[in-house]
Amino acid sequence: MTTRPNSQGLLGLIDFGKKPDGVTILMMLGGAILAGVGLAYVLLQLVLNGHSAFNTSSNVAWGAPIAFYLFFLLTSSGLSVIASLDTVFGLKVFYPVAKRCMWLSITTLVAGFSILALEIGHPFRMIWAIPMGMQFHSPMWWMGVFYSIDLVLLCVKFYLMHTGEWHTKRAHYVSIASFTICILAPGTLGLVFGMMAMRPAWYSPVMPMYFILTGFATATAFILFITSLYEHEDKQAEVKRLYTSVLPRLFFVSLLAVIAMRFGQIITGLWSNYEGMEAHWHALRSPLFHVEIWLGFVLPALLMASESRRQYRPFQALAALLFGVGIFFARLELLIVGQVVPLFKGSFGGYAEYWPSATEWMLVPAGFGIFYVLYGAGNWLLRLSETSEQ
Amino acid sequence: MSRWGMVIDLEKCTGCQACTTACQVENNRLPGENWQDVLFYAEGEYPSGKFSWLPRPCMHCENPSCREVCPTGATFKDKDGFVLVDWEKCIGCKYCMVACPYGVRFYAEEKQPVQPDIRSVFPGDGDKMWNPPWQMPEARRDPKHGVGIQPTNVVSKCTFCYHRVSKAPAGTVDLDPSNPALRDFVPACVVTCAPSARYFGDLDTPTSEVRRLIAEKRGTRLKEETGNRPQVYYLAGEQSSIPETRSTRIKS
Ligand code: SF4
Ligand code: SF4
Repeated sequence: MTTRPNSQGLLGLIDFGKKPDGVTILMMLGGAILAGVGLAYVLLQLVLNGHSAFNTSSNVAWGAPIAFYLFFLLTSSGLSVIASLDTVFGLKVFYPVAKRCMWLSITTLVAGFSILALEIGHPFRMIWAIPMGMQFHSPMWWMGVFYSIDLVLLCVKFYLMHTGEWHTKRAHYVSIASFTICILAPGTLGLVFGMMAMRPAWYSPVMPMYFILTGFATATAFILFITSLYEHEDKQAEVKRLYTSVLPRLFFVSLLAVIAMRFGQIITGLWSNYEGMEAHWHALRSPLFHVEIWLGFVLPALLMASESRRQYRPFQALAALLFGVGIFFARLELLIVGQVVPLFKGSFGGYAEYWPSATEWMLVPAGFGIFYVLYGAGNWLLRLSETSEQ
Repeated sequence: MSRWGMVIDLEKCTGCQACTTACQVENNRLPGENWQDVLFYAEGEYPSGKFSWLPRPCMHCENPSCREVCPTGATFKDKDGFVLVDWEKCIGCKYCMVACPYGVRFYAEEKQPVQPDIRSVFPGDGDKMWNPPWQMPEARRDPKHGVGIQPTNVVSKCTFCYHRVSKAPAGTVDLDPSNPALRDFVPACVVTCAPSARYFGDLDTPTSEVRRLIAEKRGTRLKEETGNRPQVYYLAGEQSSIPETRSTRIKS
């Protein structure tokens, strides 16, 4: 089933002869419109108003853009972990989605980086200042290092898969390296928040695990949702088993783990008297929180709880979509919870106010647009359904 | 080498905010961007309620968490104990703002609470954020130490008036503003403080005035549990106290 490229060079790896199907065309067109509108709006606002187009302040220094890029970066790592389940651990049942996961991982990472570049004060200075800084005591420095290596390794691994190298020694080494980085990178991103002892609502050694786990759960939701758009792919028995049994089960189990962890966080947060932890009570009064918990976590878990519902593709797609929305708002909720109790601002300010501005919201279509265009292009030109012969 | 530190006597402080204003003018800050702020606290209820205040500059911590998290090294601790931001290296990631336990860092690229936005009234040229009507002399500006008119998209904070203190004659231990020979080297907030509630000197010299006050009047530091070890000490005395909480929780 694997076809080898027969012409030389990178362009030779692309199947220009193939016609894109309807869903793919829709995805690319829709994505281009979203990205165009989103980026045009954000860039225009940044030129006209600078970063004051964002509703962040000296109290809430990190706003929605950070939550959006967290969403994409963590999903990317989760997808790469799924792709590694076969290439590193030999779980061959995942072969049919491995290549698609790799491409999804690259595209979500690029979308996340694009959002980050628009959020940061000096994106170009970052390119030299972070490597030259050598600030190895900063979790953010490590995050930069790991995610940069991640992108390179993802591309190398995808290239090897694309040229038919699934089982060679070097493919195996690249896979192991890529898997390791895909645990380290979201783990370090978790540390960026988890190490902040002065922000008690974030401070937790469990944060890296929470980031890795939620990234993995989002990745299973992503792949379930995306593959549900391509019914024609599950003709073979083992592929069908993957989509109707293995992946939904994995999704259900990871959902339960996320729920258990999140409830643990909430209960300890509400119980603690430690100053700053009152943010959890504040969260309880926020609609975001309830969208996250009930609509985003509990409802999908109920939908996936029975074997018969799990096999039903529309239910899978619905549960995946709901979880995607839930985890998206969960990222925003996490950002706010750590900053809502102001640090040393006197007792007349109350909680810090924050809601994303239009410019910040427009980063969402921008990010998803970039993702759809790239993913659609990959689906059209890069034989993403290809699997290993072995 | 010195380790400059400040002592603020809360029994003397009247909460007049002259320090805040002096700092604003000295350092060309935007309205509301108070490197040196006076925070007000209300505790308890009438008739037994208490109203208190706390002047709060950057603590120039011994172990500054802002420096620990900075991914570029833009935030650094100088050999004389100043914690500074190199505006030519800062990428505006704002991690230091998240990590400072005292909330004393500012990102001025935000929607200004007061309109019209004063930055558009006095627009800056080049990469300068604005062009204030009062300006520090060109020769004193020093973006590598976070001094002067701020460039866009970087983080700022109190410098302990680095541009003044670093010019003090070598070997100076007490920067006493009542000494005319030293006045130009004393931080603006200390010079301005009408009741002389602020003291500035070398924490490493056992005979310095700041060390003596800390020892005799039991100087305390804020949020010791974070391990940041501020170089700003408060004297609470009998008539005053450090405000009890920053908590926004409503007590039941
Ligand atoms: S008070 Fe905050 S900004 Fe100042 S040195 Fe300490 S951690 Fe850094
Ligand atoms: S905003 Fe600037 S000073 Fe602060 S952590 Fe980032 S690079 Fe360092």
